[in-house]
Amino acid sequence: MTDKELTGGCQCGAVRYRVTGEVGYPHLCHCRMCQKASGNFFLPLIGAERADFEWTRGDPAWFHSSAPVRRGFCSNCGTPLAFETVGDDWIAFTHGSLDDVAAVRPIEQSGVEGRVPFFHELFALKETRSNRDDLPGGLEDVASTNRQHPDRDTNHWPKERRT
Amino acid sequence: MSDIHSGGCQCGAVRFQVRGTLGTASICHCRMCQKAFGGFYAPLVGIREQADLRWTRGEPKRFQSSNVVSRGFCGDCGTPLTYEAPDGIALSIAAFDDPGAIAPVIQYGVEGKLPYTDHMSEIPARTTAEDVETAAFLASIVSRQHPDHDTDTWPPEQAGATDNT
Repeated sequence: MTDKELTGGCQCGAVRYRVTGEVGYPHLCHCRMCQKASGNFFLPLIGAERADFEWTRGDPAWFHSSAPVRRGFCSNCGTPLAFETVGDDWIAFTHGSLDDVAAVRPIEQSGVEGRVPFFHELFALKETRSNRDDLPGGLEDVASTNRQHPDRDTNHWPKERRT
Repeated sequence: MSDIHSGGCQCGAVRFQVRGTLGTASICHCRMCQKAFGGFYAPLVGIREQADLRWTRGEPKRFQSSNVVSRGFCGDCGTPLTYEAPDGIALSIAAFDDPGAIAPVIQYGVEGKLPYTDHMSEIPARTTAEDVETAAFLASIVSRQHPDHDTDTWPPEQAGATDNT
């Protein structure tokens, strides 16, 4: 699908990964297991050969959602990161944890028996931009104190530990 | 809707109940919500009064994503559970036991909306059972996910004693 290098990680940056080589089967899974694991209407996943996938900073924590399957997440900030069938040569990582999410486009929906009934209507809802006028410092206060890891690899993280 | 809405994380270590009417249900496309959820957007529903929300088992772990906002998740399984700001708490819609009953009414943070998000219902779709190559594997799976209702004790004494697939 794409053979350029892809990087990503969790919100806080404690766990980072890199994928080289081709990635496969970018899809949305609507099954109830993926929904509840991610607190979301669907979990978007992208596959990679295990040999092409490397955790470059930290390691995820794992929850065995069943005996053969485990789900990786950041134990510091909670970001869902991976889906792995134990012993498989493939790993699936969460699409939204990529630094460049738009670089890969999903091609299929799976587990649609669990799809929420209003899924087809979400795109038609009224659209608004981010706005935190309810806060004394507004959106600027959030942006200037943002503790989310930037959408690229960093040599040192968190910033306050930089020497 | 004025009854009790229950929910929790995938593993069941954290469970909650919301009493009364839920607040505004939304999806937020901002990059903070995307990365926190590992998804294309965060589906969240507001709680009208702080007292309406009760943690009935365990408590979320929290990550302070900026000086004003913290985000709660299960420390055991990672399920994103809350968005907590000075003006109130919102809960992940899909962490509720019946997420289909909570339809979003507005989209926030659309400056971060991905170019393909509006077209996701147009791509090919299949059910889990249609995937014949994985039928044997699926039949072998014993789920450890907490069922979509409150339980008196958890985890079950017998693995797989859950009505989820």
